[in-house]
Amino acid sequence: MADRFAVLPCNGLDKPAGPLAREIALALVEACQGELICPVLYNNLPALYAKALELPLVVIDGCGTRCASKLAAERSLKVSRKLQVTEALKEMGESPGDALTPDAERLALCRRLAERLLSAPAEGTTLDTEAAFSEPVEYATVTHDKFIFRIPMKGYLFNENHCWARIAGNRARVGISDYMQQEMSDLTFCELPEVGTEVSQFDAVGSVESVKAVSDIISPVSGRVVAVNAAAAASPEIINEDPYVRGWVAEIELQDLESDRALLLDGEAYLALVRQKAADYHP
Amino acid sequence: MSDETFMGVLREKIPWFPTIDYSKCDFCMECDKFCPHQVFERREGEVKLVVANPANCVVFCRACAKTCGPDALSFPNKPEIIELIKRLREEGSNG
Repeated sequence: MADRFAVLPCNGLDKPAGPLAREIALALVEACQGELICPVLYNNLPALYAKALELPLVVIDGCGTRCASKLAAERSLKVSRKLQVTEALKEMGESPGDALTPDAERLALCRRLAERLLSAPAEGTTLDTEAAFSEPVEYATVTHDKFIFRIPMKGYLFNENHCWARIAGNRARVGISDYMQQEMSDLTFCELPEVGTEVSQFDAVGSVESVKAVSDIISPVSGRVVAVNAAAAASPEIINEDPYVRGWVAEIELQDLESDRALLLDGEAYLALVRQKAADYHP
Repeated sequence: MSDETFMGVLREKIPWFPTIDYSKCDFCMECDKFCPHQVFERREGEVKLVVANPANCVVFCRACAKTCGPDALSFPNKPEIIELIKRLREEGSNG
């Protein structure tokens, strides 16, 4: 008997991926005797689902707008497993198609995706690497006009997408730089990658959203995501307050740091870049 | 101008920007509303949206594609772009 899950699917009834998310949710609930959560009703009357949400939660998004994930994040729900239908189909060489009523072939794909979700490994718990990543950080600063940008000088590598990797042994934590968080201003949403995801260098490992913009978090390093910072997703302001330590986004088991390093900047080189950017954008 | 280089390579030599598949695009303009870098521009007529400023696109960013319901935006192959950047960097340092 599989574990029971609460399932929060996308409610996109006007797009082809939405009804597929619903079919996957139904198949999943049936297979694990789980609980289905209607995002619309949950949004209005969350208390109705308090009991169901004691179960580990599966979130199923239809498309890239990830409404279900955002709803879960807004309500600070802990997500155990998740699926984005359009992406998952793309990986299988398929697409959601044009029809709002799924055909037999797509229904079969939905059942396959539901089975895959059930047999997926559970989201990893945070490993005890806290000690390695809690060494105090020394910052240099670039001051420009009313802005002060902090840059850690040791133990961090940067890419020109203003993301950092803090290296400890064969692990790295990644996040966004102080410059980027100030450029974006108050963050309202942080999307985390899935634990277990294999990332190549310069792949997105989530995104951050502010009132001004949305930006991908571009990983400076390649490897496998082994932990994510749920606190940053629940309270993105942590990233504004402390972008280099408490505001980490993902922890990655490194694959080939030496090769990655060739395309990265150390603290000193990144400081020079920030100085130049600050002068260009805020003359 | 430092704006025009990325990883030490002239930005215009890096072909990273979205391509609109007009057989899928329904001109909902979500990508244009989303992108803070003015990569897209709206037009009068049949084709209502174009990639007008490809060099404004942030190299490796594909965030606009996530806003696209009909999945009409595509980006170049990333490993190929990384290889190209590496090659151009070597040429630059040798030249």
